[in-house]
Amino acid sequence: MDYAASSPTVAEATSSGALAIKILIAGGFGVGKTTMVGTISEIRPLHTEELMSERSIGVDDTSGVESKITTTVALDFGRITIREGLWLYLFGTPGQDRFWFMWDELAVGALGAVVLADTRRLQDCFPAVDYFEQRGIPFIVAVNCFDGARRHDPAKIRKALGIAGQTPIVLCDVRERESVKQVLTTLVTYAVKGVIPDPYPAM
Amino acid sequence: MDGPGPLIRLFGLTGGRARPVGKPFELVAIVTTIRMPAEPTELIPEHWSVLKICRKPTPVADVASQLKLPLNITRVILSDLRREGLVAIERPRPVAQSIDERIYREVLHGLRSL
Repeated sequence: MDYAASSPTVAEATSSGALAIKILIAGGFGVGKTTMVGTISEIRPLHTEELMSERSIGVDDTSGVESKITTTVALDFGRITIREGLWLYLFGTPGQDRFWFMWDELAVGALGAVVLADTRRLQDCFPAVDYFEQRGIPFIVAVNCFDGARRHDPAKIRKALGIAGQTPIVLCDVRERESVKQVLTTLVTYAVKGVIPDPYPAM
Repeated sequence: MDGPGPLIRLFGLTGGRARPVGKPFELVAIVTTIRMPAEPTELIPEHWSVLKICRKPTPVADVASQLKLPLNITRVILSDLRREGLVAIERPRPVAQSIDERIYREVLHGLRSL
């Protein structure tokens, strides 16, 4: 780190050595994002604000309250502490279309993303796949196998989603800790491949 | 917080501003307290809380979570404290520069040990 050399102010010359690694959990509404975050991490309450659209201002009665221009949105947010000063933070991406503006903010600096898929509604995860492909953010597809869901063939899912051959596709149960651990270790290993040559011997 | 009602009070914390001052910072930028003022009474309680939380380096989103305040309001508060020279907010580093082999192995080991 060379902040001291290039930064004139005290406020920028400090480096704590702490590192928070951001991982996104994306996928369609109701696919299990909240459950996944809760299974593996310490859930943290987190809200953000959304500027109300003109239309919603028209619907809500805002007459005479000029400052009432925003509303709050709850985010899925979880923390995994590796050690003091090293954390993984999981951010669920909002499922509804009107929150697309938040994806860019969530995606900045992310290590990678898990796209959760439900084979009964595979098309629900198309927008997430497109988004991460376009921005070059490493992602894996995790197929949530609900009770009673038949076993799925990853090759068929790959074809249906039209994703590249090297993108991992894993089957998981978001309620099972071991299963979610496997999803995250797969993502982290895949995402660091471009950074650390040949990480697989560590597996 | 349900609905915009409490936000009216919350924007009081930021002097009505919705945007932080100075360079932008992202969700997991690390905030660290540089100094605690001798007279805590000079600070509003939320500012004092941030300084206490960030005696241990803490990411922005986690500060918001602990304050139970929305993200952008937390950002305004953090940017004010930065302007006063009370906290440092680290510039985000590209992932490639943040994660070396040692960190990677620590993360894998940590995940498997959960």
